[in-house]
Amino acid sequence: MIRLDFSLRQGTFLLDVKEELVSGITALFGPSGAGKTTILDAIAGLRRPSRGTIAIGDHVLFRSSDRIGEGSPEGRDHKARSIDLRPHQRHVGYVPQDVALFPHMNVRRNVLFGRREGQRLSLETVVTMLEVGDLLERRVSDLSGGERQRVALARALMSAPELLLLDEPLAAVDVERRRRILPYVLRVRDDLGIPVIYVSHDRGEVDQLADRVIVIEAGRVLQT
Amino acid sequence: MMADIWWITLLTVAMAVAATLLILPPGLLLAWALSRGHFRGRVLLETFVSLPLVMPPVATGLLLLVLLAPRGALGPVLAGLGLEIVFTWKAAVIAMAVMGLPLLVRTARAGFEQVDRRYESVAATLGAGPVRVFLNVTLPLALPAVAAGAVLAFARAIGEFGATMMIAGSIPGSTRTLAVAIYSFAETGRDREALQLVGVSAALAFAALWLSNWITTRAAGRA
Amino acid sequence: MRAAFGLILALWIPTQDVQQPIVVSAAISLTDALQEIGKKYESSGGAPVRFNFAASNVLARQVANGAPADIFISADEVQMKYAESAGAIDVSTRRTLLTNRLAVVTPLGKGKAIAGGQDLLDPAVKRIAIGDPAAVPAGAYAKQYLQRQGLWDRLQPKFVALASVRAALAAAESGAADAAVVYESDAAASSKVRLAYVVSGDPQLNIVYPAAITSRSKNRDAALKFLSYLQGREARPTFERFRFGVVVPDQ
Repeated sequence: MIRLDFSLRQGTFLLDVKEELVSGITALFGPSGAGKTTILDAIAGLRRPSRGTIAIGDHVLFRSSDRIGEGSPEGRDHKARSIDLRPHQRHVGYVPQDVALFPHMNVRRNVLFGRREGQRLSLETVVTMLEVGDLLERRVSDLSGGERQRVALARALMSAPELLLLDEPLAAVDVERRRRILPYVLRVRDDLGIPVIYVSHDRGEVDQLADRVIVIEAGRVLQT
Repeated sequence: MMADIWWITLLTVAMAVAATLLILPPGLLLAWALSRGHFRGRVLLETFVSLPLVMPPVATGLLLLVLLAPRGALGPVLAGLGLEIVFTWKAAVIAMAVMGLPLLVRTARAGFEQVDRRYESVAATLGAGPVRVFLNVTLPLALPAVAAGAVLAFARAIGEFGATMMIAGSIPGSTRTLAVAIYSFAETGRDREALQLVGVSAALAFAALWLSNWITTRAAGRA
Repeated sequence: MRAAFGLILALWIPTQDVQQPIVVSAAISLTDALQEIGKKYESSGGAPVRFNFAASNVLARQVANGAPADIFISADEVQMKYAESAGAIDVSTRRTLLTNRLAVVTPLGKGKAIAGGQDLLDPAVKRIAIGDPAAVPAGAYAKQYLQRQGLWDRLQPKFVALASVRAALAAAESGAADAAVVYESDAAASSKVRLAYVVSGDPQLNIVYPAAITSRSKNRDAALKFLSYLQGREARPTFERFRFGVVVPDQ
């Protein structure tokens, strides 16, 4: 279970989230500027909330020090210290909007970048699942948009994440092409059981994919 | 005379290479810290590193002398370690290193700042700690700038005169570098030899700058 | 028995006798003369000599900070005094090694002959190159000389003050200046200028090259030997050929 309970203030923009997510695919839906990417950044540890808690199961990623004494189990321990894990300690996979494949490495090295010692996911499994086998020796600049999405997904999976964040992969590409990633995301849920938070402003995508939808506007959750 | 010119050139190039290699680790560290860090005293550090660029080389040389000579601030420490620096090739290398460092740092820093943070963020989410991110993502992506900075520092080292003269002296055969030799020959009326050496240092500078350009254009072509 | 003793001696003495090079920090104008003398010294069995030629003010600062030179030869008193006040030289070894004189030179070929200071007032002489009196000993001496002659103020508009006496010489060599005030040794070393006249007869104009052993020298005996050699008969012809005045030590 994923617990998101935090606020993030940036200038005049205030983001306020309080949600509990179970496994499966959760869509974050809303207009641009609503704060969807900021939520992902906070979960990944790239932005620090002003206050709150972010946890995946028992694994607390972030907790601000003023959480003490709020009636939660941790509250009884008045000396509970604040926690803010660095991104590389969080085991959260992230495929950003611009995909960000490392341009100075080929596909294989990109995919293997996050691989940890003795993890259960083998390269073969991931490669087969995302059908990027024949792309492995190619250069990143030679790939099409869809291929890049799948490679980025494979790369994120190879780091054995406990949670996967997808930020409108290729938002600028046409709807048809963009939706080709959907089956692969479903495979992640079905074959690997990794929870996914998927950001999109495309209603159709969201309907096809999501087990649950959270609508965000101007930093506030409108409905779920 | 030909043998002399050869020897002076070889000596100078060897020392310039040594100086460049010497400043690479601290230089890259400084460049990275200045490009990414938000720490107190950052502006102070920046200014300090840039000093050799704006101070007259002779002044920098004097500072180094006061620091490293047997009677200097670090004199007893060096003597205790059995290290003799002033009037040896080590002093020349140090002078070259100090003068080249700001050039390396400035150029490399610009390169690091140009690396899209997104790559670094993604690398972090993939489990790479700061050191790994620097070595596997930031540095390779900034490599053209780093290489250009190193070549620039090298070229500066070849031409270094004022500070070298001060702490290494002008000892033919061991610390009389290209630039010092040119001065020496010119001051004693041996203009022909001085001009020959000028030709050599111009050729070296040309080669260094051409290399620096080639690196930058090749990288641009790749991206 | 004798053989054994001889062997022991032969093994022992060389370690005492290994000749450490003497490091001599000397004014750059002495480069050619000293290098020649140094070679002569070594080939006649003396210790190897390593020279460090630079501007006297640089040398003085190096020595004051303890740089490992054994002998310091300055192109003027000021820098030697600086080293002395820093405690860097052994005052008991201080002596005047050489003297020099001022000379006025003109470019080859063209121009009217200049025989004395008064001729510099001639309108045909438009530019006179000198070392900067504020920065360079040769310039200071030039100013001293011309002031004594009552010519300094009148010649003011013609002066071009340069960073070194060598630069002043080069100005005359290239014709950029119509005359230059340099050292007699500089004039002698250049084949591209005409020596107009040598400034002599003024006892107040005392251009000297003081020399001393440094207080930190680890090679004192060898250094003293070389210093004496520089004042001796073997070195004299070389110095005179380069137009330096030799000071005979009063023994």
